[in-house]
Amino acid sequence: MALHRVPAIYRKEMLDLVRDRRTLISMVVVPIVAMPLLFFVIGRFVSSAEKRAGEEAAGIAVRGAESLPGLAEFLKQSGFETASQEDLRAAVRDKKIAAALEVAAREDGPPEIRIYSDNARQGSTLAARNVRRALDRFRDETVRGRLEALRVPAVVLRPFTVTEENVAPQRKMAGFFWGGMLGYIVVLLMFSGGMYPVIDMTAGEKERRTLEIFLASPAGRHEIVLGKLLAATTAVFVTALLSITSLVVAFRYSDFGRQGRQMKELAAQMPLDAPTVGLVLLALAPMAVMAASLMIAIALLAKSFKEAQSYLTPLVMAVVFPLVAGMLPGVELTPALALVPLFNVCQLIKQIFQGEFTALVFAITMAANIVYAGVAFFAAVRMFSSERVLFRT
Amino acid sequence: MIQVQHLSKAFTDPKRGAVRAVDGVSFEVRKGEIFGLLGPNGAGKTTTLRLLATVMAPTAGTAVLNGHDVVRSPGEVRRHIGFLSGDMGLYHRLTPREILAFFGQLNGLDGAALKSRIAEMVALLDMRSFADTKVDQLSTGMRQRVAIARTLIHDPPILILDEPAAGLDVPTARVIEEFILEARRAGKCILLSTHVMEEAEFLCDRIAVIHQGRIRITGTMEELRAATGKQRLRGIFLALLGIDVDTAGRS
Repeated sequence: MALHRVPAIYRKEMLDLVRDRRTLISMVVVPIVAMPLLFFVIGRFVSSAEKRAGEEAAGIAVRGAESLPGLAEFLKQSGFETASQEDLRAAVRDKKIAAALEVAAREDGPPEIRIYSDNARQGSTLAARNVRRALDRFRDETVRGRLEALRVPAVVLRPFTVTEENVAPQRKMAGFFWGGMLGYIVVLLMFSGGMYPVIDMTAGEKERRTLEIFLASPAGRHEIVLGKLLAATTAVFVTALLSITSLVVAFRYSDFGRQGRQMKELAAQMPLDAPTVGLVLLALAPMAVMAASLMIAIALLAKSFKEAQSYLTPLVMAVVFPLVAGMLPGVELTPALALVPLFNVCQLIKQIFQGEFTALVFAITMAANIVYAGVAFFAAVRMFSSERVLFRT
Repeated sequence: MIQVQHLSKAFTDPKRGAVRAVDGVSFEVRKGEIFGLLGPNGAGKTTTLRLLATVMAPTAGTAVLNGHDVVRSPGEVRRHIGFLSGDMGLYHRLTPREILAFFGQLNGLDGAALKSRIAEMVALLDMRSFADTKVDQLSTGMRQRVAIARTLIHDPPILILDEPAAGLDVPTARVIEEFILEARRAGKCILLSTHVMEEAEFLCDRIAVIHQGRIRITGTMEELRAATGKQRLRGIFLALLGIDVDTAGRS
């Protein structure tokens, strides 16, 4: 089987691809600009919303504080700005204050404190939470003061303390949190990034009437398929590389606010040493061939660019299902689940980042994906050998 | 150079059912000859040419081009032919020089030989001013010259031309006619499909009229006139198709 024309075909396909605006957008612009921009915008939005909510949460109203001596002073010391309002419910609802508390003295027991909040508003929810925490502290201090007056040690009410310790190393936490998301986004972008190049070199060639001239050249069908497949795989892989790089940068430098501080710290812990990145790329290689072959086989069925788009868009959407399954809580990569395409590679990437994969699961995932890539490649060759597909009118 | 024997192509069409696009076609084309395959749309011209270019495989019959069988040695056949269609089939994002380099490489040219052949084609077809401009920025006439250069890059002894002037204006079509006549002078064997009577009459040494996948008559213009009693090709053509014979007789 002669293959000496494959490099020339590959060069021509790549030249044709890099000069196509649609391909450049899906292959380069989306991974490099769109995804980090999305993270940046979300981060900024979260951060500024948090800041606004924090400022709003300081303003509260208190009624009946005199029933609990020291409460008004304690709230002021805790950073609250207190105001008086006639109708507490209406004041919270009309956003005049973030939250309100009403202290009602009772004949038959301790005073009852009612907190009013509007839980459809982030600032109000935050204020209610802060007020509850401040009241807990105020209660503890009151109890401690009374116990001291009675000369009873505080340990009577607090016989033990609780400390939680996460034994998972930071790397594992980083892999758990970001690794799963990274695999998911990268695999999805590989399909969407490869879509336009594949359509251009199959249905696009049919539509532009260049395919027939190509087929009438001395190049064998297997050489044509292989040249195109290598170019499509390059496009898919370049998308993967650019996606990984830009996502890691976005994870590390986006501002997710106070809530996201832990996420950012974890992102900084993501291992990006050569063996880890090398293993991730190795895991993605058969998947890239499979994605490119599958898309070539399907896109070749179409007569035009638009028709191919309508065939491949559902495929890209279908890819989401096995990927989302991998993000469900409690789902782990077992040797049996390592046979499920797409799901297996996402989980493997997560495990590689966690530094926890086993040789068996790695081998099964790779072997399964190599077989799927081979089947998809032969499907593409078969399509290129079918006159009914090539000359469909 | 081209020997076609009882060549057939049948396929199943979802709308039309079983179709015999080419039905037992036989003809020969000699070196230095322009042979025209004349027929209405859907007559089987393009399918015949696709079978000879080995882009499709025949369901029956044989065809030998420059000593190579289309079924047994399709790769060898493709090495000895230059294929050109009216659509030109050019890569719009590539420059003429890049297209010539690509098809030269597919045909086994490389290094200095390829460079020199490209330079030769650029000079021959007067493409110097646009050889490095992307095809999508070229005029139809310029593109036609690029398509001709691509067809000739490996200096094939046989040219298969599928309605090469279809949709072109008269001056641009004239470029194609000049190219075909020049190729005959160079001793090439030329098989041309067309449905334009004037083109066939002006260019072809011999003509075969094809209709519904079958060849109805083959010969020189004199032989066709003698067989049908009509003077002009239009009349001959319509008479063979059994359409409006009285009107055809006046033409």
